[in-house]
Amino acid sequence: MSDLGSINFDALTPAEFEQHLPDLFLAGGKLSEDPRLTRFLSANPDCAALVRDLETIAETARSLFEPVHEPSDAVWSNIASKLAEEAGEDGGVTDLAG
Amino acid sequence: MQSKPTPGLFKRNPPIAGEAEAIERAKLGDPDAFSKLYALHKRRVYTLCLRMLGNVSEAEDMTQEAFLHLFRKLGSFRGESAFSTWLHRLTVNLVLMHLRKKGLQLVSLEETINPSEEDAPKRDFGSRDPQLSGSVDRVTLERAVASLPPGYRMVFVLHDVEGFEHNEIATMLECSTGNSKSQLHKARLRLRELLRHPEQLPPPPQASHARELVQ
Repeated sequence: MSDLGSINFDALTPAEFEQHLPDLFLAGGKLSEDPRLTRFLSANPDCAALVRDLETIAETARSLFEPVHEPSDAVWSNIASKLAEEAGEDGGVTDLAG
Repeated sequence: MQSKPTPGLFKRNPPIAGEAEAIERAKLGDPDAFSKLYALHKRRVYTLCLRMLGNVSEAEDMTQEAFLHLFRKLGSFRGESAFSTWLHRLTVNLVLMHLRKKGLQLVSLEETINPSEEDAPKRDFGSRDPQLSGSVDRVTLERAVASLPPGYRMVFVLHDVEGFEHNEIATMLECSTGNSKSQLHKARLRLRELLRHPEQLPPPPQASHARELVQ
């Protein structure tokens, strides 16, 4: 990981940008809107496209947090029977399959 | 500039109506309360397992294990964190333990934590490949994530989807924080490559078995 304090944004090269990119992203904020990078990204459209794409990926990833998949009914049946079994061993009577 | 993501889970775990009461009743052994907690959290736990494992059968097994573990250990939940955060950590740790026990997967995970040059994403600033159109739909991203090598996939899912911090991921994966950060960046680069050619992505792992909810 690199030291962001050492970056000269006015003389940044694409190779240096690539080297610092992980830390620039981790520093927070939207890189495509970072005023320190405005001139560099305008002059280097491939780097600008990379930044936009990586931001899009990270933003879309957050939408994956909401679950869309559901386990089969067998999962709960197994859980319920195991818990009922354990409750029986403990002397309790628990009808989890209800 | 946006603010940094809030530590933990992006504050995406607000209290769920009826959850606190169900937890207290479940602690006393109430079977209906167990059932309610399962109903509230099954999709999120299963989706997490499926993303980490990429396999329906294993994901269902680990979902089962996670809830059994949860119900057995519920008495130790003191409410210092959101219940769903606690459940997610428990699930992640169980899945990682499962992968380590499998041995072969552990080797695979370590290899992709330190991938070979062949596995690493290409440096392609000057590439004339198609760029992303400015938006990626979640189904396509889901398929691309499933195509990632396990080490990349773990870090990406834990950080960008689940919202864990790098220091938390480093502890869970038993690697350095720097390694976690580096792997995340490489995972995003690899995803970019995959998303440029979505027609080449394999079908999602749940296609033949699990049901997808209509949102």
